[in-house]
Amino acid sequence: MLDVRGLTVTLPTETVGITALDGISFDVKPGEVLGIVGESGAGKSIAGAAIIDLLVPPLKRTAGAITLAGERIDHLDAQAMRKVRGRRIGYVFQDPMTSLNPVLTVGRQLIDTMRAHLDITRGMARRKAAEWLDRVGLPNPRETLARYPHELSGGMRQRVVIALALCADPVLLIADEPTTALDVSVQAHILQLLRDLHEESGISMILITHDLGVVSKMADRVAVFYAGRVAEISTVTELFEDPRHPYAEGLLQATPRPSLTGRGHVIQQIPGVMPALGKIPGGCAFHPRCSRASEACRTRVPELREEGGRSYSCFHPIGGKAQ
Amino acid sequence: MLSYVSSRVLQTVAVLLVISFIAFLLVQNLGDPLAILLPPDATLAQRDALVRALHLNQPIVARFFSFVVDMLHGNFGISYRTQEPVAKLIAERFPATAELAFVSLLITIVIGIPAGVYCGVRPRSWMARAIMFTSIAGVTLPNFVVGVVLIAVFSVRLGWLPSFGRGATVNLGFWTTGLLTRSGWESIILPAIALSTFQVTFVIRLLRTQLMEVGRSEHIRFARARGLPDRRIWYVYAIKNTLLPVITIMGLQLGNIIAFSVVTENVFAWPGLGTLFLQSIQAADIPVIAVYLIFVGAVFMVINLAVELSYPLIDPRILKRTS
Amino acid sequence: MSMSGTVPRRSQRRPTRLWRSIRHASGPWIAAVILALLAAYAFVVPLFSVDPFSLAGMSILDSLLPPRWMAGGDPAHWLGTDDQGRDMVLALAYGLRTSISVGVLSVLIGLVVGGTLGLIAGFVGGWADTLIMRAADVQLAYPALLLAMIIDGVVRAIVGGQRSVFAAVTIVVISIGFAFWVQYARTIRSSVMVERDLDYVSAARISGRSEIGIVFLHILPNVMAPLFVIATINLGIAIITEATLSFLGIGIPLTYPSLGMLIRTGNNFLQSGDWWIAAWPCILLVIFVVAVNVVGDHLRDVFNPRLKGRG
Repeated sequence: MLDVRGLTVTLPTETVGITALDGISFDVKPGEVLGIVGESGAGKSIAGAAIIDLLVPPLKRTAGAITLAGERIDHLDAQAMRKVRGRRIGYVFQDPMTSLNPVLTVGRQLIDTMRAHLDITRGMARRKAAEWLDRVGLPNPRETLARYPHELSGGMRQRVVIALALCADPVLLIADEPTTALDVSVQAHILQLLRDLHEESGISMILITHDLGVVSKMADRVAVFYAGRVAEISTVTELFEDPRHPYAEGLLQATPRPSLTGRGHVIQQIPGVMPALGKIPGGCAFHPRCSRASEACRTRVPELREEGGRSYSCFHPIGGKAQ
Repeated sequence: MLSYVSSRVLQTVAVLLVISFIAFLLVQNLGDPLAILLPPDATLAQRDALVRALHLNQPIVARFFSFVVDMLHGNFGISYRTQEPVAKLIAERFPATAELAFVSLLITIVIGIPAGVYCGVRPRSWMARAIMFTSIAGVTLPNFVVGVVLIAVFSVRLGWLPSFGRGATVNLGFWTTGLLTRSGWESIILPAIALSTFQVTFVIRLLRTQLMEVGRSEHIRFARARGLPDRRIWYVYAIKNTLLPVITIMGLQLGNIIAFSVVTENVFAWPGLGTLFLQSIQAADIPVIAVYLIFVGAVFMVINLAVELSYPLIDPRILKRTS
Repeated sequence: MSMSGTVPRRSQRRPTRLWRSIRHASGPWIAAVILALLAAYAFVVPLFSVDPFSLAGMSILDSLLPPRWMAGGDPAHWLGTDDQGRDMVLALAYGLRTSISVGVLSVLIGLVVGGTLGLIAGFVGGWADTLIMRAADVQLAYPALLLAMIIDGVVRAIVGGQRSVFAAVTIVVISIGFAFWVQYARTIRSSVMVERDLDYVSAARISGRSEIGIVFLHILPNVMAPLFVIATINLGIAIITEATLSFLGIGIPLTYPSLGMLIRTGNNFLQSGDWWIAAWPCILLVIFVVAVNVVGDHLRDVFNPRLKGRG
């Protein structure tokens, strides 16, 4: 469905360009949910925004091929890209408090979005808008159409955001931390809604989150990001049971979770912190924090290699063959 | 909401009373109206009649009360300079000022708003840079210098347009208008441009700043992510969010605009309220100055109150906050 | 780390960076140098010349001479002469001197009045605060120019038509200065309200400093920077306001002319084609005010980076 190869995003400064994403590659299969996890600053959201060419300036995509359903979308002109956004790829932003236009009604925003892409009359758009509000679980959809965002709670707003992202029937949904800004009690409901919508429509999905718990419940496969690179891409079961990359393992050990096998585990922090943009060390970005690091890790960047349906970038993987 | 409106209205009335009291004190304490208004050979009876007409025989609170009542009835006192009722002087000159203000407002709307939106939407284009560069002149050039330059170029050098007066006017009974004759329109062009220079450049810079700020907001980014057309994003989604600060700041500029109208009327010998005010200052004609003081305060307060009370119509969030 | 993508963009950015550095780095310096040169011109030239606005300084025979490079120009009068035969180079120096003096003095008055009221409002609080801030709200309706006009008219009524030059100048200075107090008062008040509850002020209070000592030793030094910025920006407005008043004939008398007065005089000769009498003071006024504003904007950016790029 979506194939990303060598995606590079740069932050130009007065003197040098800082690389924010360094040749990221991953793919999303039809009907699949791909989780992207990593600490904040690892480049997860940048990757999402780069796919629909909505990076916040001065961030800029400088290399990479993005293919959606067999069609390259990384070099489209503005008009063609507009028809990809919303129509082919829906996007859910992190904070429902700021992502809705405060001075327009919910209905107006839904109707405008549908009419930007679908050839329907205002009346039809209105009916479909009410249907969408019903589908995302808002009570009294007809009245809610006339509501302004500030009249809705955070959870309700995120439901509206999801309806807005899906209302033009895209084939791929990118959800960037869709529950992070919400109350814990609401988070589960929104995740349940996303899962239901996914099962109903079979839409492909990229779920960007820092929360491994969310990933374990939602995703089929997981891409682990570290310092602007992909550390490992595996199925959820593979990752949780048998991680290859030492960072992925460290991340799992640092996360309290009900173990899939029922065994409890001791929480362990990875020593050190992830390097900030522009301060990424040479070689493998993880080597200063890695107990398995060798001379090679300090001097060469390990490539993302495929092995038995999963990929990882490490010279000394856990349990796999050495590169 | 109702209590909010009434308390704001009450505050405005209170402020206007304070201004009126200052004006009242000026009229009461400066100049001897009897000496100025009575002929040297006046009889005692004439003198007493005037004392009663001016309420000079009453205590100060009562006199202030009758001052306010007189004002409300359109009885503004008698000019020391021309010995005519101030109300009559104002009625004669009001149409000239109103028409000048109307035409310059028209120029502001027709030129300022589109140019401001353009500069906010495409701040990096060469056109926007050229507009911004020119607008520096509009902000820094003193109002009277603009008028002098316009006269020097278009009246003296090119001889295209008259440099003073209103041209031929048509008396409609309650209103004398210059907008029905060719010479009237020719006469109003230069002063209207001079008066609108400040407003146009101010609107351009204000709209640009506001639009650039809204353009960075998350809800505009989300609108883009949904593939809404650029036109709709800027002209509906963004502009609606800038209306509130723009009309608020414009309302607060009203005092400046009134001051500039005095200057412009003087430069072009425009027979309006500004010219009347200036003549009254030069002649220390306190009754007219006092009325002008109240008039400017009232126009400013009432318009800004109207702006504030219209907030809920523009931004649905306000109603919730104030009630 | 890949840098290949950044090279072409940097070369594209060059013109804007050049422009920005001119505007933000060298611009203020150029403006400051221009200000210094103009101030020197305004205050030094009069020391070595006969006052052109005294009887001795006029020479009717030389009246209305165009600038020296034009037909009929006199080599002795670079920028021409006015209707009374005054050399424009000299007249401009005297005019600029008046404009700068009035501008600086009125800014100082605004600073003192507004500063004092702001300190009172912030420190005393309560009814004093309410009263001062309500007065500030009311005055919002009357911008500097309008207020100066009204004050001028009122003062005329009080002192009558007979006024000395000194009185006339004082009136203008006070009426412009007074129009500015609100901004200073608000700035100082909000700073005082923030500072007075900070630990170091409490510490000073506990260690037995008087309130006045606290104000001068601890609070004023902290609000000097924003006040200085506002004062610089107001200097431009004050000079324009004074020029406007003089142009309208309610400012400084002709015997002690400012740039506005020179423009007013020159305006009468525009119709007959003697453009230079109005043009030189207009140009000088604009150059001076733009230079003041450039310096003021730069100071604002330096002292308060948060406001960068606003307005």
